[in-house]
Amino acid sequence: MNTMMNLVSRHNKVFRRDRMLVFFSILSVIIVIMLYAIFIQKTQVDAIEQLVPASDQLKTMVNEWMVAGLLSIIAVTTTLAALGIYIKDLETKVMADFLTTPNARAKIQLSYVINSLLIGFVLSLIGLIACQLFIVFMGGSWYTFEKIVQLIGIIVLAVTLSSVFNLFLTLLVSTQNAFSTLNTVVGTAIGFLCGVYVPLGAVPDFVQKIIMIFPISHTTVLFREALMRDSLDKVFEGAPEAGNNYEIQFGVHYEWNDMIFSPMHSVIYIIASIIVFTLISLWLYGRKNK
Amino acid sequence: MELVIDVKNLSKKYGSHEAVKGISFEVKKGALFAFLGTNGAGKSTSIEMLCTLLEKTSGDVKINGVTLGSRTNNYLIRKAIGVVFQQSILDARLTVKENILHRGNIYNLTKKELQENWGFVDRYLHLEDIEKKKYGTLSGGQKRRADIARAIIHKPTILFLDEPTTGLDPQTRVFVWDAIKKLQEETNMTIFLTTHYMEEAAVADEIVVMKEGKIVSKGTPNTLKEQYTYDELFVFFNNGVDGSSLLTQNNLNFEEKNGEYRVRVQSTIHALDILKELQTFISSFEVKKGSMDDVFIRINEEVPLT
Repeated sequence: MNTMMNLVSRHNKVFRRDRMLVFFSILSVIIVIMLYAIFIQKTQVDAIEQLVPASDQLKTMVNEWMVAGLLSIIAVTTTLAALGIYIKDLETKVMADFLTTPNARAKIQLSYVINSLLIGFVLSLIGLIACQLFIVFMGGSWYTFEKIVQLIGIIVLAVTLSSVFNLFLTLLVSTQNAFSTLNTVVGTAIGFLCGVYVPLGAVPDFVQKIIMIFPISHTTVLFREALMRDSLDKVFEGAPEAGNNYEIQFGVHYEWNDMIFSPMHSVIYIIASIIVFTLISLWLYGRKNK
Repeated sequence: MELVIDVKNLSKKYGSHEAVKGISFEVKKGALFAFLGTNGAGKSTSIEMLCTLLEKTSGDVKINGVTLGSRTNNYLIRKAIGVVFQQSILDARLTVKENILHRGNIYNLTKKELQENWGFVDRYLHLEDIEKKKYGTLSGGQKRRADIARAIIHKPTILFLDEPTTGLDPQTRVFVWDAIKKLQEETNMTIFLTTHYMEEAAVADEIVVMKEGKIVSKGTPNTLKEQYTYDELFVFFNNGVDGSSLLTQNNLNFEEKNGEYRVRVQSTIHALDILKELQTFISSFEVKKGSMDDVFIRINEEVPLT
C-alpha cells in the first residue's frame, strides 16, 4: 500500500509540475468556452426564443448546457494527459527502472491508472467549482447540497469511464509521438462525440447513432439532466412539446428508434462500458507484456 | 569464495535470432566484474535477463543464491540488485532528494531505514550540494551521482552499472569511479560493470568479453593482457644510423614505419637491456605496456597473438 501510494504520489508530482502538460490537458475546455462565447450560446438562445419567450432563466439553461459538456470533456482530457506519463516512462526507461524493484508489473501499471483517476477527479471538481461560480456570476443560482452530491457522483462515473477508456487507447500505443497524435485526435473528437460543439439534432442520423453509442456521451447526458432539469422545467413551462423537442435536439436525453433513454439507462450503460473497457484493457495489457 | 552471480548456459532467442548463445560465467561476492563487448554483442540482453527485465529462453541463473525465473524468486533478486542505466532516468522536475526518496519508498523502506540509507548514499556520493536542486537542472556528472544514489538507496548486494561514465568529462569520471571503488571496498558491494572505457575495465577483478552472443574470453586484466597483448619499445635513431641493421644484429624482431622502429619486448623491464645496448645510437624512445584497449581490439578483430 505504501509502495502504491508512493508511486501514485510520484506520478502526480510529475504531472502537476509540468505546467504545459496541465495546460494541454484542459485545452479542449478552453476551446469549448471560446466557441461558446463566440457563437454557440447566441445560436442556441436565438433558436429557443423562437419557441418560448426570452428570459434570464433561458440564458442560465443554455449556460448549464455548456457546463455539462465542459465537465464531461474535462474528465476525458485530464485522465488521458495523466496516462501520458505512463507512455513517457515506458519510452524513457523509467518503467524499466521501476520493474527492477520488488514490485509486480501489474501493480506499477495500476498506479498510473489510480493517478489518472485522481487527477481526473480533482480537476473535474475544480471545474465544477469554476462552473458553479460562472453560473452564479451570470445570474443563475447556487446548487443545492443534493445537486452537488449528484454531480459528484456523475463526476466519479465520468472520470472512471474516461480513465479506463483512455487506458484502452493508451495500451494501443507505445511511443510519445504516437501518444501525442492520440491526444490530438481525442481532444478534437471528444467535443463532437459528446455533442458539445454541435447539438445532437444538427448532425445526420447516422452520426447521432454514433454519438449515442459512444459511452462517454452518456456522462454528458447525465450532467445535462442534473444541471438543467430545474431550468428546463421553468423555461418550457406550458410548452411541454417544445421542451421535449429541445431535450432530444440538444442531447438532454437520447431517443433511439422511439425509445427514450432514461438517466438510469445511461448509468447502466456507463457501468457496463467501464467493465467492458477494463476487461479489454486487461487483455491488451496481458498480450503486450507476454 | 561465495558466488553472487552464477550463470550457466544462458540463452535468449528472438524468433530464429539467438541474441545470447549459451553463456556461462561466475561473479564472486564483492568483486568488480567487467562485462565487455562491442555494440550488439549481447551484453544488454544478458544484463536485462539478470535484472529480471527480460525472460531467458534457457539456462540457469542464480543471483545472490536465488534461482532466477519464478515470480517470487525474481522479487527476491530485485531486492538484492540496483541498476544504473545508460541514460538518466530520474524526473527532471523533482529535486534530487525527492527523486531518491521516492525510489527508496518503492522498496518499501521504513522512514527510519530511508533516513539511514540517505546518510549512506550521501557518504559515498556527496549529495548535499545538489539534493535540493531539480534533477533537470543538473550537469551530466551531477546527474550521474544522483542516478547511482537512486540505485543504491536500498543498499543492494549487487550494483549493475551500464556504461556509467559515458559522456562524462575526465574529472567527473574520476569522481564517479572513486565513489564506485569506495562502495565496493568499504561495503563489499558487488559491482557488475559494462563500459567502453578499457582503462575502467583494467581495474576490474574479472573480465568477460562477449562477441556475437558468445563469451569469447574471460579472466583477470593481467591474464587477458598476457594472452592478447605484448609490451613494445618504440625507438628513433640518430641521423645516419642504420636502425634496421643494429636491431637485426641484436636479434630483435621489429617493424619500421617513417623512421620509427617498433620492437616487441618480453616485458617493459627487458626494454632496459636493449636501450643500454643501443643508447649511443638512439635519439628518443618510448616504452608502451600492452593495454586493455589492445586486448579488446585483438579479441574483436580476432587477431591472434603471434
